[in-house]
Amino acid sequence: MAAHVHERPLGGAILTPAFKFLLALCGVWVLLVLVRLVWGLNGPFGYDTLLGVSAQSDGYAWGIWKPLNVVTFTGISAGAFAIGLLTYGFNKGEYHPLVRSAVMAGAMGYTLGGTSIMIDLGRYWNLWVIFVPSWLNWNSVLLEIALCVLAYTLVLWVEVAPSILEKLQASATPATAARAKGILGGLKKVMPFVISLAILLPTMHQSSLGGLFMVAHTKTHPYWHTGWLPALFLMTCLTMGFGAVVVIENLTTIAWGKKLDQALLARVSVVPAYILVAYIVIRVADVFWRFRDPVILARFESMGSPLFYGAFFLLELVLFGVAAAMLFNRKLRENRGTLFGAGLLLLFSGALYRFDTYLVAYQPGAGWKYFPTPLEILFSITLAAIGVTVYVLFVKLFPILSGVEATTAPGGQKSAASH
Amino acid sequence: MKISRRNVLKGLATAGVAATAASLPVAADAREGYQVQADDVGMLFDSTLCVGCRACQTACKVRNKLVTDTRETQGGVYDAPLDLNGNTKNVIKIAQDGSATTYMKMQCMHCVDPACISVCMAGALHKVAGGITAYNAATCVGCRYCQIGCPFNVPKYEWQKSLPIAEDPKIVKCELCRHDQRGPACCEVCPRGAVIYGKRADLLKEAQRRVKASPGKYAEDRVYGEIDGGGTNVFYLSPADVSFKALGLPTLPREPLPALSENVQHTTYTLGIAPIALFTALTVVQLRNRGKGEQGHKEEK
Ligand code: SF4
Ligand code: SF4
Ligand code: SF4
Repeated sequence: MAAHVHERPLGGAILTPAFKFLLALCGVWVLLVLVRLVWGLNGPFGYDTLLGVSAQSDGYAWGIWKPLNVVTFTGISAGAFAIGLLTYGFNKGEYHPLVRSAVMAGAMGYTLGGTSIMIDLGRYWNLWVIFVPSWLNWNSVLLEIALCVLAYTLVLWVEVAPSILEKLQASATPATAARAKGILGGLKKVMPFVISLAILLPTMHQSSLGGLFMVAHTKTHPYWHTGWLPALFLMTCLTMGFGAVVVIENLTTIAWGKKLDQALLARVSVVPAYILVAYIVIRVADVFWRFRDPVILARFESMGSPLFYGAFFLLELVLFGVAAAMLFNRKLRENRGTLFGAGLLLLFSGALYRFDTYLVAYQPGAGWKYFPTPLEILFSITLAAIGVTVYVLFVKLFPILSGVEATTAPGGQKSAASH
Repeated sequence: MKISRRNVLKGLATAGVAATAASLPVAADAREGYQVQADDVGMLFDSTLCVGCRACQTACKVRNKLVTDTRETQGGVYDAPLDLNGNTKNVIKIAQDGSATTYMKMQCMHCVDPACISVCMAGALHKVAGGITAYNAATCVGCRYCQIGCPFNVPKYEWQKSLPIAEDPKIVKCELCRHDQRGPACCEVCPRGAVIYGKRADLLKEAQRRVKASPGKYAEDRVYGEIDGGGTNVFYLSPADVSFKALGLPTLPREPLPALSENVQHTTYTLGIAPIALFTALTVVQLRNRGKGEQGHKEEK
């Protein structure tokens, strides 16, 4: 077993040119939000213009805001969920070095996903109503998601807190250090409960993210509309989570030359391969099973474009299949390049399944078209940029990444590690 | 450690089995849902009588104080909405089926067990007396899930509005003129009696009488809305050569659309059993492993 590697801050200059560029992108995001707040979701020029802030319409009421900004971003953030489940639920402590980085990425992803939902709400000032128990409609899948995502975002930041406290404990004034140490001690006592929540909550809302479309029987193409939507979304969020861990570990290694535990990553990457096999079996069997029903067949006919839908359905299966095959192959898995590729494939295939369910499979009725406007895409890019910015800032300041050489991190980290 | 791992698997299995069992069609009657009430009101639209004069469209705008949706055509300006929208709760369209055409009046169907109510987080959409699907902006967060959920694409959003001062964006849809003592304006002004207002039970009887009286005159020889998607409070009759689908009315399953998702929600989360089981299992596993000597891979010191 690999020796336990402690997390260390990266240290180094913060205001690098790349970081300044990221900050500029964050600025663009703020501008876009302001325009949306003043002129509405479509912006001052309407949804069907090139300058629309969003192309969302009465037909495509969610556009890419939910499938990309919420469902895909939180899918990527599910690394924290996937690794947490393995490390704590199945007591595979050897994966511990991957936890903090995944949790940090998760906290950012969920914060952004949640922010994006709130900005997308037409009447955001009314959001307090979801905290009035007697008004709530527990049948609403979206309500479950809203409350659960809010709670989980908090939980993720509580999980990030020890990294910050460790730093404070080591380097600040004695009074602060003592206080940090106190909080840290308390946190450690409740951590098992926090971690259980951190596994329970995503199990609930990631499946519900698929469940959102169960109500839209006639508007969601039968290749995608099934009672299995929650289970399928849960499985693919895990595979995306594992993919995200592989990708982020590789990217941070490329960016900052930290040590990469390839053997560890290779070992953990077999898990998503098994999940994918289960997924593919359920997915295909489910379609065959449901298509014996004449009602489903009639709906399939009436929605038209069988080649178009068939192509997306097959593409998904092929991508999932290739990813699984790559991960089952020991050689490919142990090679850094191909594993990185497989990680990207895990992310992409999961994202495609989400887009297909939310957009490709969705038919609101005759005459409606949707394609995101350039500004809408820019919103998502700059939203992601905020995530990267905060992640970079945190890993430089706080002990989050493992495999960082002690020499690259000046400051009192040694004492943090020796408590 | 084996035992504890089994605990987790059990917890996971509980949640997983609950979620998947719920998704099987067998569980389809686990929920109660809304039922037809004796005093439910509704409308009956007989497409064979409509001449497309759009009197109802205009009357609806007047009674509901809705702004015009103007379109300029060769010098003239018309209030000519192409579809339901933020300014339009009622629209007359032409429906084509092959070479046959007829008129279609579109507004909220006031479903018996509406998808829009099932998905709405804090009851902004809700049932009021008479089985009317009503909207209350005070608890609407503007999530637009109702637009996704409604199989008839009825709820519309005021996209051009934004700030919560005076002109805050709302969901717009027919509420059967419940704010006005006189009742539905559209039914009042129709010169041909193509759309009539009344008790749901009476309207259904009348519609069935028409179908029986003239076999072969109406599409499928039946009334749309009696059972479709659990039934609606607005009924439709279409001429024989224009299918309901061409009219713009989707083919719906017999059971209410919210049944599937609500069953999954209920079965998975009833009394919070599955979540609590999973939470407990996970916590027990961690405490056990923590107690079991930290000599191995320590996660925390
Ligand atoms: S037609 Fe749509 S908006 Fe009207 S009650 Fe039914 S689901 Fe709700
Ligand atoms: S937009 Fe308003 S009415 Fe529609 S589902 Fe959301 S909260 Fe309910
Ligand atoms: S009942 Fe009232 S709101 Fe509904 S379509 Fe008729 S006139 Fe318009």
